[in-house]
Amino acid sequence: MEMVNRYIYAVTQKLPQSQREDIAAELRSLIEDMLEERAGAGDISDEMVNEVLLELGSPREMAQKYRGTKKYIIGPELYDPFLIVLKIVLISMSVGLGIVFVIESVLDPANILDHFVSFIVTIVTGFPQALGWVTFTFMLIHFGGGLKADELKLEKWDPTKLQPIPHPKKQIKRYEPITGIVFYVIIIVLFAFSSNFFGIYRFSDAGFQQVMPFLNEESFSQYMPFVILLLAIFIVKECLKLISGKWTMKLVAYTAVINIFSLVVVFFIITGPAFWNPNFMMELVQAGLVTEGSEGFRVVESIWVNSTKIIVALFLIGLVWDIVDGFIKARKD
Amino acid sequence: MNEKEHIDKLMLELRRGTITIGVLSQLSSPKYGYSLVSLLEEKGVHVEPGTLYPLLRRLEKQGLLESKWDTNEARPRKYYVLSEVGQKVFEKLCVEWESIVQSLEGLITNKGVDKNGDG
Repeated sequence: MEMVNRYIYAVTQKLPQSQREDIAAELRSLIEDMLEERAGAGDISDEMVNEVLLELGSPREMAQKYRGTKKYIIGPELYDPFLIVLKIVLISMSVGLGIVFVIESVLDPANILDHFVSFIVTIVTGFPQALGWVTFTFMLIHFGGGLKADELKLEKWDPTKLQPIPHPKKQIKRYEPITGIVFYVIIIVLFAFSSNFFGIYRFSDAGFQQVMPFLNEESFSQYMPFVILLLAIFIVKECLKLISGKWTMKLVAYTAVINIFSLVVVFFIITGPAFWNPNFMMELVQAGLVTEGSEGFRVVESIWVNSTKIIVALFLIGLVWDIVDGFIKARKD
Repeated sequence: MNEKEHIDKLMLELRRGTITIGVLSQLSSPKYGYSLVSLLEEKGVHVEPGTLYPLLRRLEKQGLLESKWDTNEARPRKYYVLSEVGQKVFEKLCVEWESIVQSLEGLITNKGVDKNGDG
């Protein structure tokens, strides 16, 4: 009877506490009935127990039938976009890692084998992480949308309330958010490896010479979590666009919240002390790309000095435009 | 998928709905789980015990059945019986079932030939 005890335990373990005792007692009497019928007047053998338990089905299936409802992390209605986003993220992550591999091989061709090994290792360790984050993101979307789905069910079906086919300009073409996600994932991968990848590359006839990074490598590690957070938020925004498929006021509202928040984060990051490479101009001069005191030097220097303002301005324009554009499109009908 | 697999799959869907009616039909008097399995089996309705037991519980939760533990016998057993609501629901279901049988009868015996067609 040990097997029967184990079976009952396995089933009830997967059920709510309040029902366990009763189901266990009932299941036991039912199994005993089944065994008794098989054994007749004789003894109950192990084979009979085995047979009965096989007939009842695995504890998991049994518990599921008792629960009656299926539990989802990601509901069926979100499963398709989930798969799309997952594919995009995994593919673009591979592309990003490929780019890292190429850059590292160019920077340091002597250790190309090491770079290749780390490329493979990162793919193996990175895929589960990416899978985890995508799933987590969709769990949140599912959780947030769960209430909405119930409301829809309660509403009486009324053909006159069918949503009009969105104006062509209102529709979000799938490639737009997909391109966005690919772009952000690749940027995340590059940042995750080294902030030095962002800079000016100098090549001579002999091949690669050096890279003059834009960012301050020593202090960048402090900014790193915020940069990743920012890019992750952008990816969430693209996911929402992909799921929605058209501009709605709700989507505009989400976009506005996300964009305003990211603008604050960008401002905080970029104006922080020591974000930029303090020796950038000096490195340019040393590399012989510009001569100190020349016209070119002054132009480059004025751009460099004002780069914080320029980038904040570009972000401001871009993110505000994103909201305005969405708003205009959402109003079309 | 071969022919048999198709049939198995469709039969599974078909049975799922009919089992409930079959179960309700036998519960005018109290029965316990395994006695129902045997009873239905005798009458040619095959139900997996693994399907029946949870079904009984769900019907009870929905209020169609009532249950009572009988601890007088050697083995305590949970007996299920139609509730008042269950009785009414069952009667209505039977009417619905009859009409389904009739309509399908008409469809199957005519085998898609439209009597009132353009002939």
